[in-house]
Amino acid sequence: MTGDHSQHQGDPTPGAGQAWAALGYLISGMAVWGFAGWLVDRWLGSDGIVTAVGIMVGVAGGIYLIMKRMGPS
Amino acid sequence: MTGQVSVRAAEELPFPPSVEDFYLPPLIDGGGYWLTKFTLLVWLAVAILIVFFTIAYRDPKLVPGRVQWMAESVYGFARNSVAREMIGAEGVRFAPYLATLFSFIVLTNIFGIIPGIQLSPNSHIAFPATLAVISYILFNYVGIRRYGLAKYFKHSLVPPAPWFVLPILIPIEFISTFLVRPFTLAVRLFANMFAGHVILLVFTLGGFVLLRAESLFIKPVSLVSWALAVALTFLEVLVALLQAYIFVVLTSSYVQGALAEEH
Repeated sequence: MTGDHSQHQGDPTPGAGQAWAALGYLISGMAVWGFAGWLVDRWLGSDGIVTAVGIMVGVAGGIYLIMKRMGPS
Repeated sequence: MTGQVSVRAAEELPFPPSVEDFYLPPLIDGGGYWLTKFTLLVWLAVAILIVFFTIAYRDPKLVPGRVQWMAESVYGFARNSVAREMIGAEGVRFAPYLATLFSFIVLTNIFGIIPGIQLSPNSHIAFPATLAVISYILFNYVGIRRYGLAKYFKHSLVPPAPWFVLPILIPIEFISTFLVRPFTLAVRLFANMFAGHVILLVFTLGGFVLLRAESLFIKPVSLVSWALAVALTFLEVLVALLQAYIFVVLTSSYVQGALAEEH
């Protein structure tokens, strides 16, 4: 990168980092609780409904975490 | 259009490109299997960076010359726009690492489009994975050093939330901080460089395949294919810089998260 970045102003904001971190929370939430739901599904023999609930719980948890960790305090 | 693109002519061409193209043969017959073009390029990148920064700072002037100015811009960018902006005042001590990381990734990414080289070590998962592991160890290490092991894990796993939602949140925090972070860090860089290389291969080799087609109407289309290959090469410059930037920004944001007092 050449000199135009040595200044503070006019840089691309590091919002990119925040965006990726937020995405990480969403994906992790869906993965963790979706997987837990899938295990319960297998255990109960139900056909995917608990996985769906798990994914939604995960998304909700992920959004909540994003608000807590990255929102205005 | 009647003529179908004949695959017959493509027999000698390695088309379509496949994942196999990323497993390179050893450079020297009978030499180490680890000594491939990738290895050579990584050494080359390290050598170039050492020589460049040594020359740039060998005789620093108050009014910098061109080489010194370039080196200072790179370092200044990592120091001011990444380290200080993301981590704060104490982030300056991570600036050397971030600047090194940034210039190494930029250089190895740019190898992907330099004529004659046209292969980025980062298009092989091993290299981005190693870089991601280094950043992973770094941010965990600074966090543990600042807070101690138990407090660091409590700090990064337990968000400020009512107790009854914690059982839902803690597993998410664990997966996202300790598994998803290093994984995405490596895969994002790898996938971008891998895809970029495959796309350039498709359009360049595809031009030859089209040229060998039987129909006269198909042959000129190869020009379009090569024109696209050139255009996409310029796009790859952007991708190379952007991915290096994202990598250091995320590394510093993880360091910031590990050091933060309260979220």
